[in-house]
Amino acid sequence: MQGPLIDTLARQGISRRTFLKYCATLASMMALPPTAGRAMAEAMAAARRPSVIWLPFQECTGCTESITRSHSPTIEGMIFDMISLDYQETLMAAAGHQAEEARQNAMKENAGKYLLIVDGSIPLGQDGAYSCIGGRSNVDMLKEAAAGAAAVIAVGSCASFGGIPKANPNPTGAVSVSDLVKDKPIVNIPGCPPIPVVMTGVLAHYLTFGSLPELDDKGRPKSFFGDTIHDRCYRRPFYDQGKFAKTFDDEGARQGWCLFELGCKGPVTHNACATVKWNGGTSWPVESGHGCLGCSEPDFWDGGSFYKALSAPADPLKFAAAAAVVGAGAGVAVSVANRVKKSAAKATHEPITLADLEK
Amino acid sequence: MSLDAIPIHVINTPPGESGLTGNAPPLLRELLEQVRRLLATGEPSAIDLSALPLTPADLDWLREKLGAGEISVTLQANGESTLNETGCPGVWWVTHHNEQGAVTSQFIEVTFVPELVKAHPQDVAIGQEQLELMISEL
Repeated sequence: MQGPLIDTLARQGISRRTFLKYCATLASMMALPPTAGRAMAEAMAAARRPSVIWLPFQECTGCTESITRSHSPTIEGMIFDMISLDYQETLMAAAGHQAEEARQNAMKENAGKYLLIVDGSIPLGQDGAYSCIGGRSNVDMLKEAAAGAAAVIAVGSCASFGGIPKANPNPTGAVSVSDLVKDKPIVNIPGCPPIPVVMTGVLAHYLTFGSLPELDDKGRPKSFFGDTIHDRCYRRPFYDQGKFAKTFDDEGARQGWCLFELGCKGPVTHNACATVKWNGGTSWPVESGHGCLGCSEPDFWDGGSFYKALSAPADPLKFAAAAAVVGAGAGVAVSVANRVKKSAAKATHEPITLADLEK
Repeated sequence: MSLDAIPIHVINTPPGESGLTGNAPPLLRELLEQVRRLLATGEPSAIDLSALPLTPADLDWLREKLGAGEISVTLQANGESTLNETGCPGVWWVTHHNEQGAVTSQFIEVTFVPELVKAHPQDVAIGQEQLELMISEL
């Protein structure tokens, strides 16, 4: 039904140079050699569209928001037109039985060939009853859809690693896609939400080379997740020079110095924010003066305070001493022990305090 | 309450603090190598500036060092792109903007003519058809 991509683009008034320019930028974002843009454009121009089924599970729709609200929708939207998105609850016009029928048909007609995109984690508690669509549990639907898929793309930290639903104490028994699907290639595109162009980039790679991109040990595309935020941060030179902001309003913060001591998780976070940025290249968290939260790493929600510097060890003495002072006031030794225990519990799941912010 | 009690400081760049990181000068050596390669083998190359930790001051420094050449190309395609030859022939400063005017990517290309400037044979063929149609209607 659809011819090569470039013809469709031309019909919609997108010139070849516009497409080339887009590919140059995309190649840059995918850390391909700058000269690869042309080759990519040639291959993608001739590509035909694959069928895509998108299953939303235990999620907040933030991933869909991120992708559909990418700031330059013209071309990236085009790429989405280039796939045949046969099922996406949020975007599709059909609902109820019609929607489920569309999913079944797409799975049947493209068996073994369709791409399965999943966002959200999958709850296993109570036989998966925590999240159901059309009366069927997520785990059931995932297994059925994955069986006929060419590959599975896990979009967002929840689908990739379990994300916030899996955060301690994980009340629904949430797991990631890779915990359940073992016999299909899986690409993890983590982030809370993931960067739109990373998503498009993986699709572009699939259209260009007919294969999935090279992945790291956590199943993430190396081209976008190969470097840490810290490696590519424009504030990195200040880290190297030992220039750190100590509070969010000091001279260092105003000079744009490194946010490491304010809890930036950039050094241990693999993502492309530093180069691709957000909102159509407008800015990104570190550029707007806040450290990286590490949202694309597994279990980022349980990693302690967002405002605690990475190398600063959790100091049990500090908590014990504080508790001892309170305990002495109460005058009961047992209460001291209890408070120490409480503090220790607190240390494993630290709430953000004013003291953290002003450290 | 005096103004001093409000912890807001006026920002003045201290002398000697220009925002330069020292990351720009090595790029000139890389460019030299790329220009040598272009002359020796005809192979074009490029440096992806958006992928490097460069401050705006670094970019200004680099731009100033390379200077402006004779040719400036402006491309209107999904936002403006500028392809400007620098003071060193064969070294082009390429900046892509989106429709909102934000820079989406920035390269220094070392080539005789940037790829984007050349017309694609398929597009030329379409142009040929148009001309033929025009002539047939005369």
